Amino acid sequence: MLSKILPEKIWGIIDRKVNLKAVNEIRFRTDKPIIVCVSGKNYFLSENGATSNLSSALFSSKIVIEDIIFRASECSIYSVNEQIKKGFIVTENGVRIGIGGNIVEENGVIKTMTNFSSCNIRIPHNVKNCSLSAFPFIVTENGIENTLIISPPGCGKTTFLKDFVNQLGERNNALNVLLLDERGELDTKLSSNFYDKISFCTKKVGFENGIRSLSPDLIVTDEVGQEEDIDAILYASTSGVKVLATTHADSIETFCRKPLFQKLIQEKIFHRYVLLSKRNGPGTFEGIYNENFSRILNKF
Amino acid sequence: MKYLFIVIIFCLCLFVGYVIYTKYNKRKKFYSALIMLAEKLSVEINFSRERLKILIENFDAGTKKNLLGIDEGFISYLDKKNELTISDIFSKANCLKQDEKEFILLFLKTLGRSDVENQTKEISSFLQRFNEKKEETEKEFKKYGSLSLKLSVVAGLFFTILLI
Repeated sequence: MLSKILPEKIWGIIDRKVNLKAVNEIRFRTDKPIIVCVSGKNYFLSENGATSNLSSALFSSKIVIEDIIFRASECSIYSVNEQIKKGFIVTENGVRIGIGGNIVEENGVIKTMTNFSSCNIRIPHNVKNCSLSAFPFIVTENGIENTLIISPPGCGKTTFLKDFVNQLGERNNALNVLLLDERGELDTKLSSNFYDKISFCTKKVGFENGIRSLSPDLIVTDEVGQEEDIDAILYASTSGVKVLATTHADSIETFCRKPLFQKLIQEKIFHRYVLLSKRNGPGTFEGIYNENFSRILNKF
Repeated sequence: MKYLFIVIIFCLCLFVGYVIYTKYNKRKKFYSALIMLAEKLSVEINFSRERLKILIENFDAGTKKNLLGIDEGFISYLDKKNELTISDIFSKANCLKQDEKEFILLFLKTLGRSDVENQTKEISSFLQRFNEKKEETEKEFKKYGSLSLKLSVVAGLFFTILLI
């Protein structure tokens, strides 16, 4: 897929001289060096692959960025404008491209984004068994615990979710999982046969429709960050549906200070909090906590 | 031998006339087809928002053949198999003038690059110009296309008489 999006020269370098399996992100900024994030560490991209040497770095241009976005939209920007308004495009195999540029607003409503100035290609990886250490703490003898995965961006939250769904598929056939895939990132290379999917809709709509029509035992969703997401989670918990979700924070303390989550914390909706970082590469476990924020699994 | 030569000369005159006639006819048909394509794109982008490649591939085959291969060239560009240049896109469109090629290339360069509203506006502004060109080519066809056929017959007869 990257070969279809990237300029031939850059794709040639990445394909031949960089370990693609270890690449997390490729960043393009207008008239700035191209950055490639390999195993959680940033490098410049040069003719010879990833380097720390700025003098040999390849630079990106506005035309290159516009072309990447054009190609990522399958040469039809109008068809992905709803995504562009939210600041990203997701390609068919789950590669998410974050976009920077000028937002065009009219009467307070975002109409589109133009004049693209940067883009960040996030390459998803399936890391088999990456959720295994947390699995017994989430799936207990009482069933599945409501769980929130917490980490800064790029630390493997989505990868964790995907592996968790696969692990469930391998172990528990009777469990109906609903994948609420707001950005089309989750449903890529999932081996589980026991999940339904609702894509490209808000959590509010997805939770309501999903619970009503698909009777899930567990809803898996990415990046909780708005008031209506909290309401959707509360709605699921009062409907007897378990939730596995993710959110951004760099520590449990920071998370606990977030006003948005106070209601969920006070009502002890989540029984497990899994904290991830990229200290030893994306997906490093920093700890698992219970509803009282007592650590039940130490960092690795 | 003499009569054979006369027949050859006559046929040659007719052939030259036919080539000129075909050129003007092709130009006329090309602009009609281009307008139909642009109109279809405008409608489909507004309603179905289907990908550009699929819209062009699904365009009426009968009309598509009058596009002188620019649809194929453009799809190759979308597939990253060639560049969006005059030489790559217009390799089969010899009957178009250089400024026409440049203008059509500009049209192709705008496709798929903006949101629905702007894309539709852009297409409709190009459509105005294409309609003007269509009228021009129709006039050209009436004027020079038919004339060239008639003239070729006259020239054939003239040479026949001259040689007899």
